[in-house]
Parts: sequence; C-alpha cells; structure tokens
Amino acid sequence: MINLKFNVNGKDVEITVDDSLRLLDILRDELGLTGTKEGCGIGECGACTVIMNGEAVNSCMILAEQVQNAKVETVENLEKNEVLSKLQDAFLDNGAIQCGFCTTGMLMSSKALLDKNPTPSEEEIKTALEGNLCRCTGYVPILNSVKDAVKKYLHK
Amino acid sequence: MKSIRKIDAIPKLNGSWKFLDDYSYKGMIHGQLLYSTCHHGIIKQIHFPDGYDLSEFTMVSAADIPGENIVPEPVCDQPYMADKEVFHFGQVIMGIAHPNRKLLREFISNTSIEYEELPAITDIKECLDNEKNAFGRELTIDHRTGKKPDPNWVHHHKIYYTPHQEQAYLEPQGMIAVWQPKDKIMFVRATCQCPFFVKEGVEAIMGDTIKEAVIETSEGIGGAFGGKEDFPNLLAGITSLLSYKSGKPVKIVLDRSDDIQITTKRHPARIEIETWTDPKTKKIMKIDIDYRLDAGAYQTLSPVVLARGVLHAISGYSIPDAFIRGRLFHSNTPSNGAFRGFGAPQAFAAMEAHIDNIASDLKMNPYKFRKINLFKIGDEFPTTQPILEDHLSNCLERVIDKSNYSKKLKEFKEWNKTHKDKKGIGISIGYHGGGYTGNGEKVLNSEVKVVIEKDAIVKIYVSNTDMGQGAHTTLAQMFFEAIDHPREKCRIQLPNTSKTPNSGPTVASRTIYIIGNLLRKFAFKIKDELGFENLEGYVASNQNEFPREFRMNFVQDPSVVFDDENYVGVAYKDYSWAACVTEIYYHADTYQIELTKSWSVMDIGKVVNQKIATGQAEGGVLQGLAYGLCEFFYKPGYGRMHGFTDYALPTTMDLPEIDVEFIHNDSPIAKGLGEIPMDFPAPSVRNAFHNATGIFINEYPLVPERIYSYMQRATDRHRQTQTV
Amino acid sequence: MKFYKPKSLLELFETSEKIEGKKYFLAGGTDINVQIKNGIIKDESIIFLNHLTELKGVLQSDNHIIIGALASFRGIIESKLLKNKLPFFQNSLQEFASPLIQTTATIGGNIANGSPTADVVPLLLVLNAKLKLFSKSKLREVPISEFYLGYKKFILKRNEIIGAVLIPENAETGYETFYKKIGSRKALTIAKLAIAGLKRISNNKIEDIKLAVGSLNEYPRRLYKVEEYLKNKTVDEIDFFELESQLKKEITPITDLRSDKEYRYQVCVNLIRTFLNH
Repeated sequence: MINLKFNVNGKDVEITVDDSLRLLDILRDELGLTGTKEGCGIGECGACTVIMNGEAVNSCMILAEQVQNAKVETVENLEKNEVLSKLQDAFLDNGAIQCGFCTTGMLMSSKALLDKNPTPSEEEIKTALEGNLCRCTGYVPILNSVKDAVKKYLHK
Repeated sequence: MKSIRKIDAIPKLNGSWKFLDDYSYKGMIHGQLLYSTCHHGIIKQIHFPDGYDLSEFTMVSAADIPGENIVPEPVCDQPYMADKEVFHFGQVIMGIAHPNRKLLREFISNTSIEYEELPAITDIKECLDNEKNAFGRELTIDHRTGKKPDPNWVHHHKIYYTPHQEQAYLEPQGMIAVWQPKDKIMFVRATCQCPFFVKEGVEAIMGDTIKEAVIETSEGIGGAFGGKEDFPNLLAGITSLLSYKSGKPVKIVLDRSDDIQITTKRHPARIEIETWTDPKTKKIMKIDIDYRLDAGAYQTLSPVVLARGVLHAISGYSIPDAFIRGRLFHSNTPSNGAFRGFGAPQAFAAMEAHIDNIASDLKMNPYKFRKINLFKIGDEFPTTQPILEDHLSNCLERVIDKSNYSKKLKEFKEWNKTHKDKKGIGISIGYHGGGYTGNGEKVLNSEVKVVIEKDAIVKIYVSNTDMGQGAHTTLAQMFFEAIDHPREKCRIQLPNTSKTPNSGPTVASRTIYIIGNLLRKFAFKIKDELGFENLEGYVASNQNEFPREFRMNFVQDPSVVFDDENYVGVAYKDYSWAACVTEIYYHADTYQIELTKSWSVMDIGKVVNQKIATGQAEGGVLQGLAYGLCEFFYKPGYGRMHGFTDYALPTTMDLPEIDVEFIHNDSPIAKGLGEIPMDFPAPSVRNAFHNATGIFINEYPLVPERIYSYMQRATDRHRQTQTV
Repeated sequence: MKFYKPKSLLELFETSEKIEGKKYFLAGGTDINVQIKNGIIKDESIIFLNHLTELKGVLQSDNHIIIGALASFRGIIESKLLKNKLPFFQNSLQEFASPLIQTTATIGGNIANGSPTADVVPLLLVLNAKLKLFSKSKLREVPISEFYLGYKKFILKRNEIIGAVLIPENAETGYETFYKKIGSRKALTIAKLAIAGLKRISNNKIEDIKLAVGSLNEYPRRLYKVEEYLKNKTVDEIDFFELESQLKKEITPITDLRSDKEYRYQVCVNLIRTFLNH
C-alpha cells in the first residue's frame, strides 16, 4: 500500500491505495471519476486518456507511484457550472459524438494539444489524436471539432 | 432533415453517461470466463493454481446449468459452456467469480487445462476449400434459363476470399447480473443490441429456477456493429448463473484480448464466380455463384447471414441467367456472427472485383462496363423481385461525376508512365435491403408504445438500443417532427424488457427504417385519433384523458411476399443504394497502398438527421475501406490477432479524405442506413490497386505482404515468358 | 510484487543490490505496465526510476548532446537543443508509438527493454551514439553498437543501469539522412522493419555511409558489411546483387504474426536502393 498525494481537477487528494493500481483504477474505482474509460488496458486505444502535468497520457499505463505529487485533469473538469467548455461545444456542434466511449479520451488529447498549441495545423491535430482510436465516426467530425475549437478560442 | 442535437451528447461529453463498467451494485463481485485454448479436444482435467483459497471463488460449468445448455439462436446448436468436449479455441468452459478483479485475473491466467487433442480445422482456406466441411441448410437462388452458353461468350472463372473482420467496438463486451431471490427475478444490465434476445438467453440457461429475466441496457453502449447482437446472450447466461450461485451481483467485463479472440467476427468467405459475357454487347449473360461462409464451430445465426449474402451476391447487375448457391462451412474456430453488412460486404467484395476482371479482359472502362450491365427499371433480381427504381444508376453517375473519375483515369495513366510509385482509382457499388429478410418482419411483429403525460411530455418506449448510431435521437425526432411537437417534450425510455415492448432487435438496418417509420405513422395515427392540431393545447384542455398509453404494431407491406423455401419473391421492400470511387497512392518500395480520397454517394431515402446520418456514413465508409485494405485478423500458422496494435484498424493518420453525399433525400420514406456504408467500399480499394498496377488480387485485405507475394508471382511469370 | 522508490541514484544502487532474484527498473513503464497487466510480471520487484530528475533532460556538453536515460520521448521531440543540433533524429522520433505513449516512455526504457523493434536504436546506431552506464562504483561508456548481445541480452551488469545517451553534436552534419519505419498503419504501430541511414557524397562517390536496421535481427544492428561495400563507389558502380549478398550476411528477418520474412527482406533492399539513388 502507498500513501498517495496528488491533485485531481484542482482538488488535493490524499489516499492510501494498493501499489499495483493504475491511475485509471484510482480515478474510476477510488475517486468515482468514471468519465475516463478502459478500452484495452495496454495503451492501444486511448479511451483512458487524461492530462497529467500538462501532457495527455494513457492512464492505464501509469502506476500509482508515478502519480505522486502530480497534477491530473480528467474529463469531469471540462464543464464548469453546467457550461460546456468551448472544446466540448465544438464536439457538440460538429456531431463528433457517436457511441461516446472514445469521446472523453478524444477531448483530453485535444485539450492537451490546445493548451500547449492554440493554433495547431490539421497535421498537428491528426498527430495529437493518433493514439485515440474511434470506430464510429471515421474521425472526420472529431477532427473538424478541434479545428472549430481553434476558431472559437481565437474569437473569445 | 434537421440536424437536431443528440439527446445523449452532453452527458457523453462531460463523462456522466454510464457505460456498462461504470455501474456498480452493493456486494458486487467480478466474473471472468475460463475458455478453451485447444481447438478440438476432450477436457481431461482442469488444474487450478496453488495458493488460492478456492472457497472465495464461485465457479459454474455446464453441470451447474438448471435450464438448457443451448444458446437460443436461429439455429440452436451452441452450448453456453463446453461439456467434456471443446470444439473450438475460445469456447467457454467455466464462469468464475471473485470479489477481487485482479486476483481473479491472475487465478485464471494461471489455471491450466489438460486436453486429449482431436483433429481440428483452424485455417480459413482449409475450411472453405473442402466441400466436406459444408454443414447446415444449403440455399439456392435459381434463375436459370436452362440454355447453354453461347460459345462466343467470354468465360471468366475466379475465386475470391474475404477475411474475418473484428467489430472493434471501443467498449468491450460486458454484463452485470443481479439475482433477486425474493421475486425470483434475474435482473441483467447489458451492453447489447437486442435486450429481448438477452432475455431469452438468460431464461434458457436458468430454466425454472427463475420466474423472469429483466434486461435493461446500460445508458451508453460503446459501439456494437453487430458484435453485440448474439454474444451478449451467452455472456448474460453465464453471468446470471454466477449471480444465482453466489447470491451476489456479478459483473463480467471482457479483457480486450479475450474480446478480440473469442467473440464473434465477420464470416470469412470463399466466393467462386463464373460468368459468360457477350463480347459484342458487353452484357453478362450468365452467372454462377458459389458463396461459402466459414461459420465457425456452430451455426448459430450464420444461416441468416448466408441468406443475406446470397440475396446480395449478384451485386447490382441484371443478368438473365443466374444461379446462386450458398453454404455454411464448419471449422474449429469461434462461431462467426453479426457484423454491419451481414454477408453483403463479402458478396460485393467478390462481385465488384469480378466486374473489374471482366472489364479489364474486354479492355473496357470499368465504369462503362458497369453502366451497360447495371439494373434498370423493369429488370429483376434473381429472386424475380422487380427493380422499381434506377437510384443505383443515379448514385453511380453522381459519384463518377463528382470524383472526376474519367479525367483522373487518364491523368493517372500518364503519371504512372514516369513514376515508380503508382496512382490508381477504382469503383464499386452496393446496396442493402432494409429490415429482416423476407417474412422476417412479419414474424417479429414489432410493437412500440407511447405514453403522453399530463404535461404533454411524450415518452417513447422501444426495445431498440442506441449504441452510438443516434437511434434514440432520430427515433424521437421522427415522432415529434410528424406532429410538430416540441423536442424538449420528448423522452425515450432506456430499453428494459419489463418496460419497453418488443420492437425487435437493433440489427439489419431496421431501426429507423422499420421502427422510425412506424413511429412516424403512429404519431399521425394518434393525431387523427385524438383529432388535435397541437398536442400541447389538446393535453392542456383535456387533462382528464392523460396520462394515456398508446400501442401500435408494425404491419408489413402486402407487396412483400417471399418464398423462404425456394428463395423466390420480394426479399426486402426497400433497398438503399450506393456507389463509390476511391483514389489510392501505391508505394512501390514498401508495397503499401495509401488511401488518398474516397467519394461515396448513397440513396438512403429521406435523411432524418443530416449530421447523424453523415457521421454514421463516414464511419462506415472508413470501416469498409479498412476491411479491404488493412484489417488483417488471422494469419495461417500464427493464429488470431489479439490487440489493437496487431489488428490495425485505422488511426487519424490513416484517414483519407472522405466525401459522403446522400441523393434522393426528398423521398417520403427513410430507408436503411446502418449497414450500407460498410457494404461497398472494400472492392473500390482493390479495383484502384488494379488500376494503378495492372495486378489483380482476389483476396482481401490488401496488406503489403500479400501485395508483395502477388508482385513476385507477376515478376516470375514475366521472367518465364521472357525465357520461353 | 514489491515496489521500491529510491530517493537518489546512490540509494537506487543500494536498494538494487539488496534485492535478490529478478527485478525490473521502471522508467516510463509503458511496457512493464503491460507485462504487469498480463501477469507476466507477478512476484518480481519493481524499482521506480522515473522521479530521478538527475537522469532527465537534454543538454550540451563539449561536443556531445547528452540525453538523460529518463528523458521522455515528448521531451526529446520538443527539445530546442535537438531541433538545432540533431533535427533528423528528432523528426524521426515523431513516429514513435503515439503522443500519449511519448509522454511517459523514455529513451533509456526503449533501449533497455531490448526489443528488436525498438524505434530509437537504429537512429542511435547511425549517429554513433554512446551509452553512459552507471553503477554504484563505476561509470563507463560503450558505443550503442556494442550494447546488445542477443535477443533481450545486453552487456549491462547486475545493478548497472543506462544513465545517459551521448550523441556527437555534429553527427548529422554534412550527411543526407533517411529514416523509414514500416508498420501495419501510419501511427500507433510496431515496426515490421525500420531503417535509418546517413550518407555523404563527394565527387559523386559515396564518401561515407551509415546504415542501421530494426526488426530484422534479434536486436537493431548496423549494416557494416553493406556500408563497407558501398564506400567510395559511385551509384553507377554499385552491383546490387553484391549488395544483397552482403546484406544477407547481416540481417535475419523472420516471419511472425506481424509480417513475413520475404517481405521484410525485399522492403529493406528496396529502401536501401531508394536511399542510394536519391
């Protein structure tokens, strides 16, 4: 067991968990943040993407110990006071949501990109999302959403 | 044609929409399947690892089944769990549950099973090339004239192979069973397409020990594509048995590698086509098709896939003399099952390739050759069903035009003369009959229910699930748009077998086509019955009549008369039509095909929700292109892929430009959309490759290793002719 | 499983020495986590390294670029120093796994995992990189070309770790560069084969050439015999039959779930040819 201190969505968390738990398990099972999904458990699908210390990561690939003192952001942090973020809005407007299982991971990869690079090229958007698989949409509306979000950010 | 927002969009965006694994019940324990690693054999002994307290585990096997050990399917031949003998890799032997998911996983991965091995067929070609492996009912469509082919006609005889395809829904298969001994009810939370099938599945295995199984889906169903049509029945059965035995709620979520290896896939096919073409008129005069599917170890729903396969086998061509024979073949592999397209993608992959083979031999432009042979109004399908519209031809004309096909054909030919890499462009067409085949919809007799509340809220009750395709949004939209009711006053009940009537399974492109159009009709009927102009106003001034419940059943159009014995008559009332042009860039150094652009033009009738329909079509087209190009599942000698790295579904980087257009959307009726986008794209890739290199490949997918071996053969042949 | 998190390098070696039996050093964890999940790693000890900041970062020293073994691929791809000094190396690594994996995976982990498909190794081989190996009492440098001994076998001694990667700062200067990773798709893929090349042409002659391949042997390797054959020849003087006979001595492609040996071989030949002809 380890005593873990880290920050999730702006809140400091201190919990004692089994060493072998992954960040994904801690978020879902210990903290009830089930917006982060498990699609494969081995870094091959991106459904479990969260932002850790400013970078998008597969939360299934991070062991408890690696989260010590980290700053973690999950999809639950995007909507504020029931107002969707601009990025979520863009997903909504572009019909980028089908089954929804990849959506939260897609949002987190996109957010990590836009946080670092507010004006990405189409190629940079595709690259940022290449680790997030989607089987429903064929990616078209998702990529359009991110492009759209770029415009929304610029005109704020 | 309004693009109203999906009702589940916001909860899916903020992470609050619950998928199967997001549900938890008090005292819930975790289950996992112990399955066979032997292809065929007698189970001699099961060795559990040391160091575990076996009393903490709940275990169920065939011997524990109180009901029947046969999963209800169109053909009831598959057991829930193997009894002494296993017939395929991946066959479930036991269900095991424990409070700790991780420990359970460890326990099962260290459990070993001893078998007495028996002969097994595991290779696709070994299965499909040998007539002795045929089993089950043979289907024939006989539209022969009895005349001998004219000796001047050009004869083509080719065999095409199509591969497995993995549905790759992002949410793995999962099930929660909660045994309620007081009421003798087995409550099951499912990620599935067909709650009433799951209900049958649970009631069959549990027999008299339960009074009833109640199935409710999870809010979110994370993709299905056919993969959650029948496997959930088996899974629900075993999960229920574990819950019954342990007395606790049990959740099973399949690990991805198990899910990929043991659940149902698209059937591999071997399709042998013989044609005779009149060289003068360029018309195909006679065709003979031998359509074979590798069903796996059990037939389950394969006969239904076979039916759709033979009914789409001839593609969109009018051929006066036709004979189609369809058979299932047995192998020692997990039963193949439903996957978007359901037998049709295999048919088009073969026939659309064959058409290019003939055109090439006749030195004809593949478009012009198609045009000559395409269905025309007044022609008929081999089942004698008359062709009533020329929309397929409209799709083809439109896609040829918007893709600049003819100009590009010339341009690429020039470009290829001076480049080692090659560019190519290919065509394919397809169609899909909406709803269950033949008399199926009559038998289903789908029922829908609507409740109008005192505050004029309309609640729609159907058993069709929303697995991402937006069905619930579109179904509600079809109802409220018909009577101009405000959208926010419409609700849709989460499918639950004790609340929603049986409106049939969510399969066969039937949800919008059958249930949606039924709801639309229903809305008008209610309006007529109550005699209102404005429902809100009516409810306000007639409060004592509400809440009120209405029910309506689907009535099949009388024109649908189908002879199930002889395969004669009208198999589907309405068809969706499509045509496609795909452009590729071929990398000579690496034998890789890069998709550059793909245009699809489809007629799905009235487009209810433009955004939802376009999104579904784009996704389906990419799935179809990838089926032809890169989704390689089984390698002889090495077996099945087990993860999303080895099984290469496309990423954002692999995405070509995809252009989708719907025509004839002024039609009064919304036709099937779910499957058609998957049916036709694959052969356009293969035909584009032929256009680029002059090489025909009659096996899918066109992975570079396959291309390399064909290239080698072509070079060897070339060398041989030179030395002669 | 027992986990250790030493506070410093010194403590790391002390901890490591005390552990009997099999142990794993966890850098980014992108492979070890899969092995834990699949039950391949069960009772062994895991020693965390990733928090040891002294082994992170990319810096310049004398005439080398030093990349800490725990530098993440993200750090490497975004390093301004590498962008200036070793742009070919940096750009080629864009193809590594996916951005999500790049964030956590480390260069040291990619090397020490010992996979024949390790993306970074063919690049390091042609850049004449050296590895700095750390143990409690010793520091030593070995060329990366001497690091591997066989499939998942290295010259690392017990309780010795890779501390840093050293690349000569002018390793790319004056060379034409070439890198191809062939996978089953364009991203998020494991190499069926990979090839990295540097060449310098002078008076039409190949004055210097360095070639290295991945996924074609038990570990990524330089093609010294092919290089030797090519040196001081003009492209027209190359006899490709001879080149292939040299190549055959240096690669041993296999057929597996992901690809076929014939395909791997021929693509390797084709890519070398293309590199030489450009």
